[in-house]
Amino acid sequence: MSDRASKRPIPGPLDWGLLARKDVLAGLMFMAVAVLGLVISNNYPIGTALRMGTGYVPRLLCWLLLALGAVILLQGLREARAQTISQNGSLPAWRPVIFVTAGMVIFALTIERLGLVVAILLLTGIGAVAARGLRPFETAIAALVLVILSWAIFIVGLGLTIPVWPDW
Amino acid sequence: MELLANLALGFGVALTPVNLGFAFVGVLVGTLIGVLPGIGPITTIAMLLPLTFHLEPVSGLIMLAGIFYGAQYGGSTTAILVNLPGETSAVVTCIDGHQMARRGRAGAALAVAALGSFFAGSIATALIATFAPPLALVGQSFGAPEYFSLMALGLIAAVVLAHGSVIKAVAMIILGLLIGLIGTDGNTGGTRFTFGIIELVDGIDVATLAIGIFGVGEIITNLTQPPEQRSVIAQKITRLWPTREDFRRAWPAVLRGTGIGSILGVLPGGGATLSSFAAYALEKKVSRHPTQFGRGAVEGVAGPESANNAGAQTSFIPMLTLGIPGNAVMALMIGALMIHGIQPGPQIMSERPAMFWGMIASMWIGNAMLLVINLPLIGIWVQLLKVPYRFLYLSILLFCAIGVYTVNNSSAAVLLAAFFGVLGYVFMRLQCEPAPMILGFVLGPLMEENLRRAMRISGGDPMIFINRPISFGLLVAAGLLLTLVALPTIRSRRDEAFQES
Repeated sequence: MSDRASKRPIPGPLDWGLLARKDVLAGLMFMAVAVLGLVISNNYPIGTALRMGTGYVPRLLCWLLLALGAVILLQGLREARAQTISQNGSLPAWRPVIFVTAGMVIFALTIERLGLVVAILLLTGIGAVAARGLRPFETAIAALVLVILSWAIFIVGLGLTIPVWPDW
Repeated sequence: MELLANLALGFGVALTPVNLGFAFVGVLVGTLIGVLPGIGPITTIAMLLPLTFHLEPVSGLIMLAGIFYGAQYGGSTTAILVNLPGETSAVVTCIDGHQMARRGRAGAALAVAALGSFFAGSIATALIATFAPPLALVGQSFGAPEYFSLMALGLIAAVVLAHGSVIKAVAMIILGLLIGLIGTDGNTGGTRFTFGIIELVDGIDVATLAIGIFGVGEIITNLTQPPEQRSVIAQKITRLWPTREDFRRAWPAVLRGTGIGSILGVLPGGGATLSSFAAYALEKKVSRHPTQFGRGAVEGVAGPESANNAGAQTSFIPMLTLGIPGNAVMALMIGALMIHGIQPGPQIMSERPAMFWGMIASMWIGNAMLLVINLPLIGIWVQLLKVPYRFLYLSILLFCAIGVYTVNNSSAAVLLAAFFGVLGYVFMRLQCEPAPMILGFVLGPLMEENLRRAMRISGGDPMIFINRPISFGLLVAAGLLLTLVALPTIRSRRDEAFQES
């Protein structure tokens, strides 16, 4: 990899720009998953083709994935006009990534002990930070509507056994 | 006459008040999410998948199917009025549909789209009813090696006909196959890739994966895009009925669109989107006035809109008869069946005729409902477009969370879906199409099972896949497809086909 990088017009020990390419990153991602899978399945019994063990198919797939990942990585490195991840003019992504995920996580952690109503309020409150331009007043209205709607659909309509209120 | 008896059985099931109600809910929700950009049928069906557990299997399937083809109707409304595809399958409808709207002919464009869709939907329903039984018979003669090869062909074809990089899509399939293996190995009882987490011992539910990747992942992706400008055509839609000239020009396009959509829908990887792109290209080619395309040619609306509806419906054929999903929506339908412990495959038709024919009959009923929902009520749907995405995403996020939770009343599933959400965002950022992954995920355990059985039949000799003629033929077809797509000329043609807009 570094060998190719050194042939580029701007020489450096490692061209970090290469790393930002979509295909390079995708290839590395697939290879990482494959290696992780191979490490984990290291002690799974493989068996024979006739009597396949637990590890036969998973290990086969991991090796395939490793090879494909390597090809994608090489293609990414060789491409002349590769797309980099920052090229599509998108906004900084950390905000939605963090707050959308956090909303889900908090919902998961609170639904059983604090009930549906509190969990919905927390999810909408945290989730609202993910987007720009959502005013606190709008968020409050949205949360209220969603509480009523969810209660009507899931508790009354479908009769699901989700705790609604905090369990003291 | 057996067909008529079957259809009578089907209509008997579909016309019960409960199932009529679910068909109506399905097409209504389908239209709604079709109209709204930012949420599509895959996300919606994934979100509602857990709810179908509480319904009769046939009612659940009727509702989910209604969402899928209903979205094809709704998608055209947004395309024509706002020049923004409500669904990817309506991308080409924007080109001429919106031009018609700008010339004051929005009503005619909407009517042509709805009438064409209805015609295509009716024909596609008839095609399913006619061709599903013989195909299921073929499927019943298949043994483990044939099934393995068929699934391999299905996965490969799905990749070749989808857009984007083929090799990345193959890698995504393998990733899906691997995720499908998580949990307990049914054959040996050993656990795989559970990371010591108890909740993973039973494997990952398809709803959890799909809601995470498509639902949550899409929310994150959409929020990173700058808010789009929506300019709804403000004019009153006065004249809804197309002119005589419109009818004269549209009906051959509707016929061609229905034909091309019906064929492409059956192919793995086909379905609504590919059909509409292909139909637009065809209309442009056969038209005597190709220069009118892009300036409000009615054929450019009639062809693709008929095709996407036909394709959406005929893509049920391989799922219902062989248990092979051609696209992500069909993979989720298989998930819905499995929630009820129904093994998808050719035996469904003989073992559960009421469910099978009831669902097919409901498609025709649903299409008729859509005509009513779409044309007179068009004003309501236009109003909906004024709802900004920042309100929409909170509801989608919440329904994703509740939906995942209700699968097994498990908080761990919600955490897992959050993780898949981030993963889904990473995939989209790296241009790795997630749809093939869902196909791999659903087919993974089935493929492993059939591989094992085939190996037991042959005594561990992999030549069995080549010695059996049907299996060999299927594998050759898969190999040919892969080689074809690697050829430079074909590859550029393929890229072209998806870049009509």
